Amino acid sequence: MTTLLPTGFDALAPFADRWAIDGSIARAARRGDAAPADRTAFFAAAAPLLDAALAHLDRYPIDALPPAEQRLMDMMLTLAHVSLTEEILGDQEPAHARQRQHMHITRTPAGA
Amino acid sequence: MSDDSLAWLGTAPIPAAPYHDPAWFELEREAVFRRAWLQIGHVCELPDSGSFIRREIEALNVSLLIVRGRDGEIRAFHNVCTHRGTQLVEEESGRRGTFSCPYHRWSFGTDGALLAAPDFDRFFVDKADCALPRVALDICGGLIFVHLGTPDKGLRDDLGPYATMLDGFPAAQATTFSEYVYEIDANWKLTYDNFQENYHLRFIHPRSGAPAVGEDNPFGYPVKMGFHGPHRTQTIWTNPDPAPQPVQAQSFGRAARFAMADGTAGPHSRDYLALFPNFFILGSPAQPFSHTVWPIDARRSRGVIRLYWKGEDDCASRRYAREYAMASARDIHAEDRDVIEAGQRGLNSGALKHIHFQAQEALCRHLFTAVDERVQAYRADLAGTAPRPVSRAEAMA
Ligand code: FES
Ligand SMILES: [Fe+2]
Repeated sequence: MTTLLPTGFDALAPFADRWAIDGSIARAARRGDAAPADRTAFFAAAAPLLDAALAHLDRYPIDALPPAEQRLMDMMLTLAHVSLTEEILGDQEPAHARQRQHMHITRTPAGA
Repeated sequence: MSDDSLAWLGTAPIPAAPYHDPAWFELEREAVFRRAWLQIGHVCELPDSGSFIRREIEALNVSLLIVRGRDGEIRAFHNVCTHRGTQLVEEESGRRGTFSCPYHRWSFGTDGALLAAPDFDRFFVDKADCALPRVALDICGGLIFVHLGTPDKGLRDDLGPYATMLDGFPAAQATTFSEYVYEIDANWKLTYDNFQENYHLRFIHPRSGAPAVGEDNPFGYPVKMGFHGPHRTQTIWTNPDPAPQPVQAQSFGRAARFAMADGTAGPHSRDYLALFPNFFILGSPAQPFSHTVWPIDARRSRGVIRLYWKGEDDCASRRYAREYAMASARDIHAEDRDVIEAGQRGLNSGALKHIHFQAQEALCRHLFTAVDERVQAYRADLAGTAPRPVSRAEAMA
């Protein structure tokens, strides 16, 4: 069995299947669709690990991350979206999500 | 910036009709969009010989094929087969050595020349006269511009001092980009104007835009404005005491460090160019975006926003910083759309004969003035050279 996440990031294991998301469009969509409590719980777990996660991931070639590292990368990329709700928007999120759905992501370096 | 220094722009109320009237928009198609350099793409989209992009300019019913030739030169053509007009290319982008028409298989080279056509001996024309119709194209700061009419000035001439500024913007060095696109039920000028005034920041972006306003500048008004011909610029004010959130600070901190290391943090990091008619670009190295507002009809537009990046993602931190910058810019742009549409609905009612711009909305006034001058000149041309109306019988003959 492969490890789910790299050593030191076990705290994120319960979030891996919902928040390790491939593709910028899907990540943006999950941020908007998620139940507020789920999103807040993911943010609370992931935000404090952002620096450590990127420091760990920076040691690997970006296009050949081992599966556990790829999962962690995808979670941090989802965190980028989720943090905007949790840190900036707060209770404006529901109205904001309706406005955001008009802004269609077509291309990102990470893969739309 | 003092209100007096803008006196030359005038202070009169602005007629409302140009922001909703279909007849006015019909004039703008020719007067504005066929008589200006239009920003249409970036050189990084055409890395190799044979690389092509297709671009639609709905305001002019034009489809363009932009190709990098074998000789390395980038050219623009109408995407239209010279046999009987079939659109040559359907894909949005790709790479090809020749372009073959789906109808009768005329095939064209990357330089637009007709290379071969089945049974061509039975035609009554020379191959040399069947090249794809060429469209004027020029490049500045990595950005591709086209002109669908007969340019009276080259692009750099037209941009004047702003050409050098563009050369110094991060987009000039870009090799890749993020993009998001929106459609909006609003006139292109109303949409565009939203992004060239700061008067609305504190109301529409109270949280996402908080770093752009501060106690000593509650509206976040720009530090400086400038004008050159129909183009304009402004310098963004920076809050000396921003209070970023933790993830926000870490994310932008990374982006800023990469920009420094890449040499994309130039002297224009707080400058903004609004190039006539429909293009903006910001020199910020952490979130270096451009925004083009394409009219679809008098009351409908499409915005294309791009964040330009230098180099591929070479590590996790860079990939993360770019994802964050895109998501954060998209959030702010998303907040503007509803209120612009609400403005359009109000204008469509015809209730207003005029709208008003304050001194800090000078860039909006300047856009209207530039459009109005062109529309009036075009009207005068039409009046002077109006062809005799063709009768129905003649037209049918
Ligand atoms: S229309 Fe293109 S080959 Fe006939
Ligand atoms: Fe705005």
